[in-house]
Amino acid sequence: MIASIPSAVLLGVDGRPVSVEVHVSNGLPGLTMVGLPDAAVRESRDRVRAALVSSGFLWPRRRITVNLAPSGMRKAGAGLDLPVAIGVLVASDILAPGAVSGLAFVGELGLDGSVRDVPGTLVLADALRHLRVVVAEAGLDEARLAGGDCVSAPTLAELVARCTGRRPWSDPTPSVPSIAVADGGRPPPDEGDLADVLGQPVARRALEAAAAGGHHLLLVGPPGAGKTLLATRLAGLLPDLDLPMARQVTRIHSAAGALPSGAGLVIRPPFRAPHHGVSAVALIGGGSAAMRPGEIGLAHGGALFLDELGEFPVAVLDALRQPLEEGIVRVSRSRGSISYPARFLLVAAMNPCPCGEAGVPGSCRCSPASRARYARRLSGPLLDRFDLAVRVERPAASALVARCPGEGTGPVAVRVRSARQRAAARGVAVNAHLPARVLDEAAPLDDGARVLLERHLVTGRLSARGLHRVRRLARTLADLDDDGDVLSDLHVAEALFLRGGRGLLLGEDVR
Amino acid sequence: MSGAVPRDRSCAAALLGLPGMTPVRLARLLDGMGPRVAWAAVRAGAHPADPSRRFTAAARQVDPDEVVTRYAAAGVDVLLPGWTGYPAALVGDPGAPAVLCASGDPTVLEARPAVAVVGTRSATPYGAKVAADLGRRLAAAEVVVVSGLARGIDAAAHSGALAAGPGAAPPVAVVGTGLDVPYPRENRALWARVAAAGAVLSEAALGTEARPMVFPARNRIIAALADVVVVVESHRAGGSLYTAEAAARRSIPVCAVPGSVYSAASAGTNELLVDGCVPVRDADDVLAAVALARQGRGMVGPASSPAARGRADPGDPGPVDRLERAVWEAVDDTPTTVETVLLRTDLSLAALTAAGEELVERGLLTAGAGWWSRA
Repeated sequence: MIASIPSAVLLGVDGRPVSVEVHVSNGLPGLTMVGLPDAAVRESRDRVRAALVSSGFLWPRRRITVNLAPSGMRKAGAGLDLPVAIGVLVASDILAPGAVSGLAFVGELGLDGSVRDVPGTLVLADALRHLRVVVAEAGLDEARLAGGDCVSAPTLAELVARCTGRRPWSDPTPSVPSIAVADGGRPPPDEGDLADVLGQPVARRALEAAAAGGHHLLLVGPPGAGKTLLATRLAGLLPDLDLPMARQVTRIHSAAGALPSGAGLVIRPPFRAPHHGVSAVALIGGGSAAMRPGEIGLAHGGALFLDELGEFPVAVLDALRQPLEEGIVRVSRSRGSISYPARFLLVAAMNPCPCGEAGVPGSCRCSPASRARYARRLSGPLLDRFDLAVRVERPAASALVARCPGEGTGPVAVRVRSARQRAAARGVAVNAHLPARVLDEAAPLDDGARVLLERHLVTGRLSARGLHRVRRLARTLADLDDDGDVLSDLHVAEALFLRGGRGLLLGEDVR
Repeated sequence: MSGAVPRDRSCAAALLGLPGMTPVRLARLLDGMGPRVAWAAVRAGAHPADPSRRFTAAARQVDPDEVVTRYAAAGVDVLLPGWTGYPAALVGDPGAPAVLCASGDPTVLEARPAVAVVGTRSATPYGAKVAADLGRRLAAAEVVVVSGLARGIDAAAHSGALAAGPGAAPPVAVVGTGLDVPYPRENRALWARVAAAGAVLSEAALGTEARPMVFPARNRIIAALADVVVVVESHRAGGSLYTAEAAARRSIPVCAVPGSVYSAASAGTNELLVDGCVPVRDADDVLAAVALARQGRGMVGPASSPAARGRADPGDPGPVDRLERAVWEAVDDTPTTVETVLLRTDLSLAALTAAGEELVERGLLTAGAGWWSRA
């Protein structure tokens, strides 16, 4: 007798429907699984058998063949436990085929018969939206974010009872969970308040511009200057995600198993801060057969903070360049290739040189050679991606700090939000995404600004690509100051200054 | 000038042209004595500086008026110290020529700073390019380029200065031969152009041919005329080192252009650098040295011109608006972080950086990575 049970597996950030076919026939008792299962799937044989027996069902003393179709795709994860168990029950005539028609199953089984949640429930339920999807109770809220019809059961025995109609699907009202995006308001306290940062007017301005315009930010400064403190305050400045973005981010986090149970849609922009020991695969994604998204995928819609940028392996950093440019990661492996969105704000912090003190001439103890070697760790093209590169000085003497009291996250976030609204009126999420061809319209220059830029172009301090980046940044700075449509030399000069550049690392950009 | 000038001129020219006359002997003959008196004394065999009457016989064969007519026909002026055209820088110099011949207009040296650009006759392409660039940019900055019209560096420096275009300072050459004996012959055209635009000077009488010793001797004049001497390329023990030495004796700054340590043509200049001469990369470095040299001697800074303005007197920011003035005042002479300036001025970062850009452009501030200092 044959049963075919619909389910799904994860590939990257997408669910792929899978048909679990179970055939029970005469022959040597045992269970064979075909159709490119990975280790976790193959182990489901033992879990399913124990779960059936402890739920009070008879394990058929016959030959069982499980085929996972389409058989050419490698399947990963424990979510196929439940469909395999149901398939065995149907194929051995314990459960009538009619009882499970129109149902799809996703879940892991415990040896005691309990149904457990699996990573990516939202994505998997989305792939099976044309069916009623049975998931673990813990994953029900998440599955319903996909918008389809979902039910759950705590154990295998209870599930069978509900399928056969002996017990009702006693789930709470399948109301659509709260997906209304709260309007900004106060960011969660765990994101830290900008008021904690004392002084640092230049770095603050750069941070604000990064949050408002989506410009990648590099903070360079000596140890203890407050680079990390500053960077972590960025999370609170970013406005809430809009609904399509929240859905996308939630899907990625679900697929990576990074969605806390019962959290609902992710509406706060993520802030990821991987350690500098991170491998290229962990950063970019594509590790297991499921091609799990990496840190940059998880940072989609939010910020990726790389502390001690100079300590990251060169190969890892260079892997960032393509996603930074396209906002999409393409991971190709022998078993297939996937792509997923990865549009994030890159914030990095590093010391200017090995001793950490380089800044104004004469303060660094490193040899020029070791400084050049340190600076060389960052390839020019990567450094080029940073629209903002500023020095963070140790906070000045308390008298100076007293004259520059730290503004809190609240008012800054308001300016950031209104700057982003201006960008939205230009058809982009943030100014950093403005296409070069619309710059003349979106960021027109007055005469002073044009003269200033020409001077920098003629003297070779600015490249053609740098010109576009400076104009976008100046646009953001003017937006933050609420300063009209035409860019003046003030904001262009500020953008040129905040752009910093390689000289910050080499300390020899004297002109 | 009195009516005696023409007679003084013809007598000076006649003395200069006597066979066996050298600059040193001429200086002795004219020491404390006017040319007319000296001429008469020599002819009479009664000159105290010529006890052996070495020149007396020759002088009796010469008619000074006929000599000076020859000079006038050749377009050459004969100058004595204190006369219009005789360079003020040479007056009072211990090695000053007692009589100086000039073709062209030697007054171009007046009220302009002068820089000697000298070097080896067998220049490398690198040296020739540097010399030409220096010549052109210095001339454009209204600095008179002084050189010796020799092959190699000298010729390149003069060509560069002539190429600076209208409004630039004309070049001045000091040569070792008579002004009617262009040497080397291939520089004849250049010689004429320098004379037409500026001036060619010589302490040798007309008709004096090239002799080995005349060139080191004229180098002292080049050095004495200049505010700064720049040696572009020189072999070890090269002739231009005489110029450097002569300048050093007069406390005139000597700059040298660094070259490859493997290049024999740079061996002399690199040695100068080791000895503590100021290295020079471009005209700006030279202009800075000129400004320092003239300041040290209580003179005004280099003439104001677009190129020279980049190195304006650092003590005075000139006519700037109030905001720029406030920024300039908030910057120290040592590197000051932009953040510090921001805190001192209470300006917005945009206003501050725009003002800073303007001040950097005008050469009043030097900008580094995240800091400024007063230029």
